[in-house]
Amino acid sequence: MLDPHPTSFLSQRRLENGKDAMVPIKPESPLNLPTQKLSLGCPVLDRLVRGGLPVGSVTELAGESGTGKSQICLQLLLAALRPPSLGGLSAASLYIHSEFPFPLRRLRRLLTPFAPSSVVPTPLDHIFVRPAHSPDDLLSLLTAVDALLARPPSALPVRLLVVDSIAALFRSEFDNTPADLKRRSSLFFKIAAKLKEQARRFEAVVVVTNQVVDVVGGSESYGSSGNAIRVGNYGSLWSSGRRVCPALGLSWANCINTRIFLSRSDDIVRNERALVDEESDDRVHGTVVRTRRKMEMVFAPHLPEASCEFVIVSEGVFGVEAQRA
Amino acid sequence: MLSEEQMQKRITTGCDDLDTILGGGIHCKEVTEVGGVPGIGKTQLGIQLAVNVQIPVEYGGLGGKAVYIDTEGSFMVERAYQVAEGCIMDTLDKFGHHRKVILDCQEQMQPNSFLANIFYFRICSYTEQIAVINYLQKFLAEQKDVKIIIIDSVTFHFRQDFDDLALRTRVLCGMSLKLMELTKTYNLAVVLLNQVTTKFTEGSFQLTLALGDSWSHACTNRVILYWNGNERHAYIDKSPSLRSASAPFSVTSKGIRNATSQCKRVRMM
Repeated sequence: MLDPHPTSFLSQRRLENGKDAMVPIKPESPLNLPTQKLSLGCPVLDRLVRGGLPVGSVTELAGESGTGKSQICLQLLLAALRPPSLGGLSAASLYIHSEFPFPLRRLRRLLTPFAPSSVVPTPLDHIFVRPAHSPDDLLSLLTAVDALLARPPSALPVRLLVVDSIAALFRSEFDNTPADLKRRSSLFFKIAAKLKEQARRFEAVVVVTNQVVDVVGGSESYGSSGNAIRVGNYGSLWSSGRRVCPALGLSWANCINTRIFLSRSDDIVRNERALVDEESDDRVHGTVVRTRRKMEMVFAPHLPEASCEFVIVSEGVFGVEAQRA
Repeated sequence: MLSEEQMQKRITTGCDDLDTILGGGIHCKEVTEVGGVPGIGKTQLGIQLAVNVQIPVEYGGLGGKAVYIDTEGSFMVERAYQVAEGCIMDTLDKFGHHRKVILDCQEQMQPNSFLANIFYFRICSYTEQIAVINYLQKFLAEQKDVKIIIIDSVTFHFRQDFDDLALRTRVLCGMSLKLMELTKTYNLAVVLLNQVTTKFTEGSFQLTLALGDSWSHACTNRVILYWNGNERHAYIDKSPSLRSASAPFSVTSKGIRNATSQCKRVRMM
């Protein structure tokens, strides 16, 4: 095993002519690598990511609660069903969720605008939902998923895998001791290796959502203390007026290919003509809270630093063109 | 027949300052480890080197080919295409070629030709990683044009739980010895991209290269990429011949280039 005969080589599993097969290791030409992307369901957002999320790659959506992570995931489940000409993959999806319950109502609401132009009569038949309660749960699920990916139950191949969220899986099981952090870190790499293998083998898009934690102490320079080690295009990330960073630390950051940060800020806009609230003691009359949402590219091997504002409406998540001064 | 001069050629990184601290560029016959946090530019540098090794001899390059071992799925074809295009444009620009000459270079100096000269391996486990390195021994005997092997990244698949840590150390050392052998036998460069982790030493968290304890002796040179404020920097962490020095660099749409006082920002249109 350590030193096999020089002329022998292991096989690896890959999609050959659309079929999952064992092939001997041999070099490929980059010109033949899959380049498909899954649209985010909005042309403005798609421009931010140069077309969509790439197959064979793990993209993370990080943000605090209520920034739109799950909403975007639902949008992706439906986008996957569209044909490539409409930015989709003509594929079924697997949605693994660790937060409960699965947002079925929100998904149904998204189906209404989708249905008329849909190529697939019953979209929900091609979306497979599985719960995961712990990291070990997720690992055994991913192993079982190999069969699902190799022989999909519906007519369409499964080419979108969503884990929503990775952070929730690690919330309670681990203490802050070096031993536990090491154990947790090992699991990150095991999970990521499995996800990447499946992304590659089945030419699938993998999306993982992550939460954020408050940044404590330290500065941004090399070797500082706290969790403020700079990762990616931004020295600091902000949401709801607080400085935050994606959860699960540097280890997990090493496990993903692309990191997209979602944030929100509530701006108080003074509105002179609004009604006075007689119930409250609030002296500041006539204010309206406007939620601004932003999507930022923290790091990606193929994308430059860029950001985009977006809104969440009942029809879904849509990017907003930057206003020119 | 390789001339003495050609044998000592360095592979340019695309950034003059970075080349300078590297003693002219990445050395053949040596293993260079490059580490840094996610997003600092490791893969960008890997792709840049896979392209730059191909700069024809008449333009001051090695005219070689590259082996790119992708363990993480970070290699993006569209990015490699951009980098190849940028390299070709800047090389022809540098040599002050007129448009006619550029059209004459139709065949050789095309981004797709550059992509075709990268032998790409995507591996999904540590066993596949070892198998590919063993496979290379036979492969390189047949493909004499390969002048660089890039592994992106070298430790990812070893950072999972290993039941037998002694086995992991043996495997890593065996692997690095094999790579060192390959550099000498085939007179090529090996560049190992590595992740970083935090280690609590001397009262604070320090960034260190992943699995450094297991095999830090195996590389000839070690370069760390890091953030200095808003600017990307590289410094020589270990080398038998290079002085400890640091240099700024930038990642542009064309690839790795000299640092600019104003970092290139692309805003959403």
